[in-house]
Amino acid sequence: MIEFSINGRAVRVDVDPDTPLLWVIRDEVGLTGTKFGCGIGMCGACTVHVGGRATRSCITPVSDVAGAEITTIEGLDPAGEHPLQQAWRELKVPQCGYCQSGQIMQAAAFLKDIPNPTDADIDAVMTGNLCRCMTYNRIREAVREAAAAMRGEKTNG
Amino acid sequence: MLKSTLSILAGAGVLALAGFGIYAYHSPYAVEPPSARPAFDPAQVEQGRILAAAGYCATCHTAAGGAPYAGNFPVTTDFGTIYASNITPDPETGIGNWSKAAFRRAMHEGVDREGRHLFPAFPFDHFTKMTDADVDAVYAYLMTAVAPVKEATQAPTIPFPLNQRILQAGWKLLFVDFGRYTDDPTKSAEWNRGAYLVEGVTHCGACHTPRNKVGAEEKSARFAGATIDAWSAPALTAANPSAVPWTAADFTRYLSTGAGVYHGIAAGPMAPVVHAGLRELPASDLTAIGVYLGDVVGAPEADPAASPAVQASLAAGRPDPAWRADEGERLYATACAACHYNAESIVAERPELGINSSTRLDDPSNLIHVILDGVSSAEGTPGVVMPAFRDALSDQQIAAIAAYLRDKRADLAPWTDLETRVAQIRAHQGTH
Amino acid sequence: MADTLRFPPNKRALPDLSRRGFLVSLCAAGAVFGFPKQGAAAMDPAAPGGLPPEAAGASYEPAIWYWIDSKGIVNVNIIRAEMGQHVGTAIARILADELGANWDDVRITHVDTDPKWGLMVTGGSWSVWQSWPVYRQAGAAGRIALAEKAAALWGVDVATVTVANGTVTAPGHSAGFGELVAAGITRAFTEDELKALPLKPAPELTLVGKDVTALDIANKTTGATIYGIDAQVEGMVHAVPLMPPTRYGSVITAIDDSAAKSVKGYQQTLTLEDPSETVQGWAMVIADSHWAAVKAAKAIKVTWTAGPAATVDEAQIQDYGRKLIADESTGAILDTGNSDVDPVFAKAADVFEAEYTTASVLHFQLEPLNALAFRNAEGVWEIHSGNQWQSLALPWLQTALGVGDGEVVMRSYMLGGGFGRRLNGDYAVPVALASKMLDGKPVKMVMSREADAAFDSLRAPSVQHLKMAFDADKAVIAMDSAVTAGWPTKVMIPGFMPKGTNGEPYDPFAADGIDHWYDVGAQRARAISNDLAESTFRPGWLRSVSPGWINFAVESFMDEAARHIGADPLAFRLDHFRATGRNAGEAPNATGGATRQANVLRRVAELSGYGKGGLPDDTAIGIATTYGQSRSMPTWVGGAAQVHVDRASGRVEVQKIWLVVDCGTVVDPDGAKAQCEGAALWGLSMALFEGTEIAAGLPRDRNLDSYTPLRMIDTPEVVVEFVESTEVPTGLGEPGTTVVAPAIANAIFEAVGVRMRHLPITPAEVLAALAG
Ligand code: FES
Ligand code: FES
Repeated sequence: MIEFSINGRAVRVDVDPDTPLLWVIRDEVGLTGTKFGCGIGMCGACTVHVGGRATRSCITPVSDVAGAEITTIEGLDPAGEHPLQQAWRELKVPQCGYCQSGQIMQAAAFLKDIPNPTDADIDAVMTGNLCRCMTYNRIREAVREAAAAMRGEKTNG
Repeated sequence: MLKSTLSILAGAGVLALAGFGIYAYHSPYAVEPPSARPAFDPAQVEQGRILAAAGYCATCHTAAGGAPYAGNFPVTTDFGTIYASNITPDPETGIGNWSKAAFRRAMHEGVDREGRHLFPAFPFDHFTKMTDADVDAVYAYLMTAVAPVKEATQAPTIPFPLNQRILQAGWKLLFVDFGRYTDDPTKSAEWNRGAYLVEGVTHCGACHTPRNKVGAEEKSARFAGATIDAWSAPALTAANPSAVPWTAADFTRYLSTGAGVYHGIAAGPMAPVVHAGLRELPASDLTAIGVYLGDVVGAPEADPAASPAVQASLAAGRPDPAWRADEGERLYATACAACHYNAESIVAERPELGINSSTRLDDPSNLIHVILDGVSSAEGTPGVVMPAFRDALSDQQIAAIAAYLRDKRADLAPWTDLETRVAQIRAHQGTH
Repeated sequence: MADTLRFPPNKRALPDLSRRGFLVSLCAAGAVFGFPKQGAAAMDPAAPGGLPPEAAGASYEPAIWYWIDSKGIVNVNIIRAEMGQHVGTAIARILADELGANWDDVRITHVDTDPKWGLMVTGGSWSVWQSWPVYRQAGAAGRIALAEKAAALWGVDVATVTVANGTVTAPGHSAGFGELVAAGITRAFTEDELKALPLKPAPELTLVGKDVTALDIANKTTGATIYGIDAQVEGMVHAVPLMPPTRYGSVITAIDDSAAKSVKGYQQTLTLEDPSETVQGWAMVIADSHWAAVKAAKAIKVTWTAGPAATVDEAQIQDYGRKLIADESTGAILDTGNSDVDPVFAKAADVFEAEYTTASVLHFQLEPLNALAFRNAEGVWEIHSGNQWQSLALPWLQTALGVGDGEVVMRSYMLGGGFGRRLNGDYAVPVALASKMLDGKPVKMVMSREADAAFDSLRAPSVQHLKMAFDADKAVIAMDSAVTAGWPTKVMIPGFMPKGTNGEPYDPFAADGIDHWYDVGAQRARAISNDLAESTFRPGWLRSVSPGWINFAVESFMDEAARHIGADPLAFRLDHFRATGRNAGEAPNATGGATRQANVLRRVAELSGYGKGGLPDDTAIGIATTYGQSRSMPTWVGGAAQVHVDRASGRVEVQKIWLVVDCGTVVDPDGAKAQCEGAALWGLSMALFEGTEIAAGLPRDRNLDSYTPLRMIDTPEVVVEFVESTEVPTGLGEPGTTVVAPAIANAIFEAVGVRMRHLPITPAEVLAALAG
């Protein structure tokens, strides 16, 4: 039995300790907003927060998160109104949308660390998240907008 | 999990010389049944709990999945396997029948109740520095707060004649300075408190001091760094290669939280040292350890944020449009930079790998270990993890990332044979 | 398990957040997102869990494409797959606009397969173009029926009734759609009536061309969207495939699963026999959970005898392609009016020719291939999966399962990227077979990324040879082009292939681009199928298909040919867009013909500052133009790219891309822009960063460690401008990809004087070219 919390609720799972967190979240806990893309930590589709840090869940053994606090896209904001989610809708970022849970979770952790990022900062961090529909320009713009909103500045969006 | 780190030690004493019968002989202490023992003062028990934690006793005396302190953790050596003994208060298989005096002798002299020499996998060479009061507190804790477990300790698989414990006596004669810690009058009380803890109960040198051929710490190379279970225990001297010199405050922060901003985190064998051990010590003790180690490593206090090393590392970490040219850099940008990022300054707990100890050590082992197996929420900063790339990246790819960090981010002499080293560590069945 | 608790899919629905520990058991399962009920409609991407709306009270269905219920909700049935193009929104808005609906009342349902929908395919950028007339007529029918009902109820002349923004009004009267529907509408329309209905003139359209909320977007920001990979039904088991060393002809000789038996949750390994021959030499590992199946699969040893392609590599395929081109008897000759080029070349004063090649390219749609299959209570086989061409996959599934028409239904899910990969629904077949072996038990397969790549329907490598004849005055008098690649349509739906003038069938999707809109005198366009490629892997349709490679050749060649005779590349192109004869274009789709292509090219040159100079050293702008995908549905695109070439490393940095697009009426301006941005960046990615090669019969690169698509840090600014137009709307998903590679190659030439004739353009090849 491995225990951790997910979106504020405690869970115990009875799985092999080497099971990647991703498959525990999707198949055992039943939250499917977190996606599988590459399985080797290089697309970011599976990004969740562990202890507030963006973490690639596809290569994180569930035993490693024992006792930790996990947040998935479903738990980022109770009403789905995180400034990033708002900016994403405002700028119509998603195309197929498959990468976007991971993009948003990655950006959310990033803006907590670096609330006033330059474009170079955004590029450096978000380059780990593949968007096969190539929505990169809109993602960059939406991260800027959300950062400004989170800093309490007026946005032009 | 320091346990197997002591493998060298375990086999060490076997080379001891013959003819030490008289020196080597210790008489047994009488059996003291638990019923004959008076109750302990709760304050003493609590003091013992803290010291037992600081000495990570449970770490070495608990087998995987086993009851705490019930022993049988296997320590593999070149000569065979030794099993840590049961130190629960079970009268038959543990130390329930040991008197306080017998326990003191074990801690201070490395001899068990029946008079047999203990293998030096047990760091009595450090515990001999501990005061009687502290040893008694540990005794009180073990006898009171630990549940007795009936579990016979397995016999070592070391063959005759190397298994003759009497041979340990010669080893002790040659390498161990028995006796309690004595204050250095030229230093502050805080310094001396730190030194007492470091040299004694926390036995830092057991991992951080290199050992000679028969497994004894090299006195001339105290804290010069050593290899433990295929990890590197860095030097705690001025030879430490950190880009930002360790200060007393850095040590204290690192040992109380498991992470530092400018050096790295406690992973591998160091993780339980902090998380199952030192964190239990009162703040004043952690400060004292910091003061002592800071003095030994010899770094003055300074604000590292502005240091050229930090600035250079941050600059080298800026995204480079030519990132695809180097395989290591390319893999880093897609697999690592999503977490290992910083902007103008370093964000706490976002390890900046150009200045990270694992990148700067002469030995790439620690870096390879964490890339392969990640960092669990029980290590480093609690509740935060690093994923494991064991099944995601090949030896060659991990080597490329390590080489990139070493060459481009830390700007240090390249590591050689990286790919081979990755393969070795991948195959290594460590206990961490 | 009785003690199993599951999270609702969204935290919003959680009753409380107390730290109450509970068990999530290994075999947790539930009919959460699946639609096991026969006849349940498919998916509303705006609804929680994707559940489609059900009509409240009475409803009225003016055409099969939608209904209006007594609450005034307008539910539009979408037969297209949603994969990022917001296609449901685009189509629903066409209908809603003509109907006069309030956008807030509009819902969409991506429907399941049913013969009544006719051909179900989402590709070729056809969706909006094909839907435009049909959904407008359907909308008009509803508008008229509502107006007539109101007129009858109110006793007024129907001519005084207006329908707008969800309200029906006449002087002194007003009603919502719902009221009128509740009052009972029975008006029916015949096909002919529908076709004859009067449509709103362009200025009266209030939704088309304006920004509306895309119905699929919100759920894509909260994780609520349900993709194929999220499909679940009660009692399902998980499968991962053990795939053979070659796409065709491999045979399993032994399976040893003894080491897998200790994997918790492992059940068994099934050796598939496939009457449809879609999957050959496959086995499926069945387990309680996906991870158990993955772990077990690693422990299982399979021995195969490999098919003949095991020794085939990319160089062989390409060399074979060159041989095919050299043999003038091969291939189909496209109808270009006059293809008799030989006499013209014989008398030419000058001939210029060049060969262009492109490497194999992976789809790498981000959602790996997956499907869920089972036999439902009615005995019908249900296939739950994202799919772009249900009508193509259904017969394969029927053959594989050995059942007839109506015995397989495909449920629609959102697609985590299509790009043409899911036009080929081959990945559902092994899942159906596994379920059949388990007597209809639900089986869900999720492929690893590596398996997905190995099983990809690649964009085949190509060889193209282009040749132009000039007279003594340097005027173009003939052009002879031959292109070869593996043909997707030939291997998957040969009936779709038209015949060339020589009676040979050809794959239009592997020939589009070669029959361009330039007037070049006699023109022979020869398309040749590379059967070595086709026997090695299953070639696929990949975003824009052949214009992705042929246009690279044609537009690089036009640049080269211009320079060859000392002409300006822009002027040279414009001079040959004469819009005469077959290049004059035909209504309704290609009204204006080559003049519209000349227009977008001229405009993009102006917009980008092409030819103006003033850029730093080794930096230049290149241009190209295309008509999108096919002559029958041209979307005119002019493209420009500004590049800087680093002479030391050979690295090409694309600094900015401009697109000018004439797609007729722009239905969804922002969505159109998004499609063009994405398409342009795909073009860039395939020009510089993507490309694999066949090695021992399979693609060499299987995951992101070595397959390296464009990332954010590589992404330049993309400027997209649409030509204002009220012409028929044409497709947008793909055209943007097709100009970028040649624009880059042309820019490289402008910048540093080297000509790159192979995609992808790698730094090593640029360095080699620079070295001379
Ligand atoms: S699925 Fe985890 S990073 Fe791609
Ligand atoms: S929106 Fe499709 S992968 Fe990013």
